[in-house]
Amino acid sequence: MKKPDLSKLKDLDVKKAARDFWYGKPHGERRLGDLYIPKTGLYKHREWRGFKDTMYYFNNIWLYNYGMIVRDIMVYGGGPKGLVQFLKGTWRYRWMGQTYLTVMHWFDRCLEGMRGETLAASAWHFRGIVSACLYQITGFFNRDLNIGGDPALRAKTIGTDETVWGGVIYPYMDQGGYYLPTQMIPYFVTCHCNNHTVLNYIDAVQAYGLPGDPCPMCQAEAGIYIEDDVPDSYVAMVTTNEACDSSVGTSVIQDWMMNKPLFAMPQVMQFDDDSVLENCAKEIEMAWRFMEEQTGLEFHWEELKKHIELQNKQNQFEREKWDVAANTHSYPINGVAQALYRIFYSQYGERPFWHDVDAKVRKIMEKCVNEDINTFPMTRHRVIAWSCAPLYYSAWCTWAYNCWGLNTIINMDSLMFDLDIRTDTYENCLMDIAKYHEWAPMRRMAVGGLQHIFELWENMEKFNCDMVMMYDQLQCKGMQGVVGLFEDEFRARNIHAIWMPHALPDKRTVPRSQIRQIINDYMFTVMGEEPLDPSLLDFDDIDSW
Amino acid sequence: MKAKKIIKKTLGIAALAYAGLFCVFYFDLDGKLLYYVVEPFMKNHFDNMERRDPHTVPYEQLDTEYMQ
Repeated sequence: MKKPDLSKLKDLDVKKAARDFWYGKPHGERRLGDLYIPKTGLYKHREWRGFKDTMYYFNNIWLYNYGMIVRDIMVYGGGPKGLVQFLKGTWRYRWMGQTYLTVMHWFDRCLEGMRGETLAASAWHFRGIVSACLYQITGFFNRDLNIGGDPALRAKTIGTDETVWGGVIYPYMDQGGYYLPTQMIPYFVTCHCNNHTVLNYIDAVQAYGLPGDPCPMCQAEAGIYIEDDVPDSYVAMVTTNEACDSSVGTSVIQDWMMNKPLFAMPQVMQFDDDSVLENCAKEIEMAWRFMEEQTGLEFHWEELKKHIELQNKQNQFEREKWDVAANTHSYPINGVAQALYRIFYSQYGERPFWHDVDAKVRKIMEKCVNEDINTFPMTRHRVIAWSCAPLYYSAWCTWAYNCWGLNTIINMDSLMFDLDIRTDTYENCLMDIAKYHEWAPMRRMAVGGLQHIFELWENMEKFNCDMVMMYDQLQCKGMQGVVGLFEDEFRARNIHAIWMPHALPDKRTVPRSQIRQIINDYMFTVMGEEPLDPSLLDFDDIDSW
Repeated sequence: MKAKKIIKKTLGIAALAYAGLFCVFYFDLDGKLLYYVVEPFMKNHFDNMERRDPHTVPYEQLDTEYMQ
């Protein structure tokens, strides 16, 4: 039997070991990369963050969220019957049964290295996202005729493209009207949580004979239908052309394979012309008439107004958060939590769980500001992330802070929906709703015209950023068209910008290790800097979630 | 006396359960179970599931007045 090596114990600095145990190792000594089991992304052991933060993570994040997941399934699912439906759905659909069970590892990846208030506030954002996911998942399964769901609930449910804003259902919510974005849960969130399963849907589309070069997001969304992995939970469908022609192609496949009444709600791309706004407004009214015809629900103006006003409150709090992020060092939310939470609630629409999270985050943020806490003390550069992000590596911001001190302050998608919708009259409300639709994901800046994609410069200044992480979605024909224009501007304005190539949900095109290598190369060769944590420079996580 | 014993026993079991859960958390045993056992099992299940052939759905539109 091998004798244990006791020589290390002789050199042990007991005082330092005790300090590290209680407070956690200082940033430069953590060596977070040593915790990984090669290829898998699993941990040999989870990070020791100091006694207080480790116990916070264990009790208030890990245990709490596992418990809350069960609670959400029971509450949103309507009791034990909801739990049975949930289990049936888990067994029936790959995007659920093979994907979401790994949710706590999503927390781990995104919250690595976080401490104190930053850990708490960022984790609350993820709690909100998970709650919203379970609200939708139970919504799917309770109504799904494939697994014995309730036809009465289904009869009041409208399926939509995920880029149709959830506010379309506001006027009907008091009558049980229910909105199900058909791709948000089966596709979009899966890529962040566990990107293994989305590859199945992309491959299904290409095996079917469709071309492999359009946007892989649209491929995956169509693949879910080709694989027959779509719950039969809604009575009719509203689609949109957002964000591009490829998305319209997806709708054609969906229309064929789901075989339900469908309303196509086109939204203009060049939205600066006010005359097109009226057309958009008419399209939205027609969509409402269609939904009423299909569900038998009635349009309730007061109900619409109530939810819009609550949504405006969320947006106003977001602006307060931006103010703190832009002008202080006390913003307690990391880049990935900020980005995913903002796009999720803006797109899905107002619901009670968002307000609960906002109240908790407000408390933490106010504490940080009042006590002047430096929430990201190792910040070397304040980064603005622009264009569409890699879904399979949204946690890159956490890695970049831990490894290089690159602190992602804000991103393009978070800034898209910055609009308070008027509720003084129906006409004003409708016009603002139309504008909100036009400012949808991948739309307002990405394909809304050059002046909008160049809103980067003013936001860079507004948020006091000195570096740009420029996402380069290799299969987005729209954004590929402006690469040269950006390069010219970066040179002319003397801005440090790192191009991050990726293929949205598909990690096989540009693996995460390659993304890290590109950032490493820029930081070594152009910036002439050394990493804060060298163990994170190069590690193999090719098969990780 | 008996009540004291029961309380002690309950607290002991709770403390053991808590310590056990902490071990699961710290050594990422939940992740390892999901990665090496649950996910491959579910993948195998979904790979072999019988699915509806999408071609069986008729390629026609269900018209409504809004689609004219």
